[in-house]
Amino acid sequence: MTEQLRDPAHILLVEPEPMLRRTVAMTARSLGISQVHEAASNDAALRMLRTRTYHGAVVAVNCVGNGNERRYDLGLIDLLRAGFEPGQGMPIAIMTDQATPQLLGELRDRRISRVILKPFRAKVLLETIEQFSAARKR
Amino acid sequence: MQTAAIPDNEAARLAALYELLILDTPPEERFDRIAAFAAQEFDVPIATITLVDADRQWFKAKVGTDLPGTGRDVSFCSHAILQPDILLIPDALLDPRFADNPLVTGAPHIRFYAGAPLALPSGLRLGTLCLIDRQPRTLDALELGILGTLRDLAVMELVRAHAPDESLDD
Repeated sequence: MTEQLRDPAHILLVEPEPMLRRTVAMTARSLGISQVHEAASNDAALRMLRTRTYHGAVVAVNCVGNGNERRYDLGLIDLLRAGFEPGQGMPIAIMTDQATPQLLGELRDRRISRVILKPFRAKVLLETIEQFSAARKR
Repeated sequence: MQTAAIPDNEAARLAALYELLILDTPPEERFDRIAAFAAQEFDVPIATITLVDADRQWFKAKVGTDLPGTGRDVSFCSHAILQPDILLIPDALLDPRFADNPLVTGAPHIRFYAGAPLALPSGLRLGTLCLIDRQPRTLDALELGILGTLRDLAVMELVRAHAPDESLDD
């Protein structure tokens, strides 16, 4: 724990719901699990990705578009994997409302470490962040 | 049943509570959502943001009860404000302080209680964010951390009472 506090893993959390986001970030900090950086949107996350390196990311993925054009917005995941050097190998978990075979296929291609289905508890996110932080130490 | 002791700083504690001008005010979304989040996160039937007044406890936010509060003499939260850390009662029937408490032997039939003291920056503890279940259980370290964070968010709302535009909303 002491080592974690001295050299914490930096985890990016992209989640629009403020209470969930803040609860996870504050608890991770108070328990010395990691330094969680909060982004309320993909745009905010993109800005933050330009300013520092992260050791993992937990990202809310939502549907966009209408009718037959509806699809999961994986743009941020693609940027993390392809566009940002440190993001190419970092563990990524996504939060989503359902896991369709199509989505799971797309996530497999993007080497997603974990899918967290809604509704979920803040504790599940913290356990995921704890695992990402521990993996960084190995 | 053991009635909670009166804190040594009771006069200052009550003065700070009254200064907030919050007792007997209508429900507010910024407190309600903390209680609702806590009830859902911990899967408990009852969660409250409780303020301990001179002779009663009053619920500023509540999930799972219609009561406005109870007498201080039977209040679990009156025990919780005597210590800085979270008061955890895994099974009230096994705790001599609470086993014959009317809130245990009768409705709402409390078995599990966890109360995180709402401490102002001055250190004065005005009440709790508390979880209640009708069956015995406990909380692990991660859950205690989450409850502590939700308590911190409730305190931030208490001390920011006159600037609601800066609350948890983005």
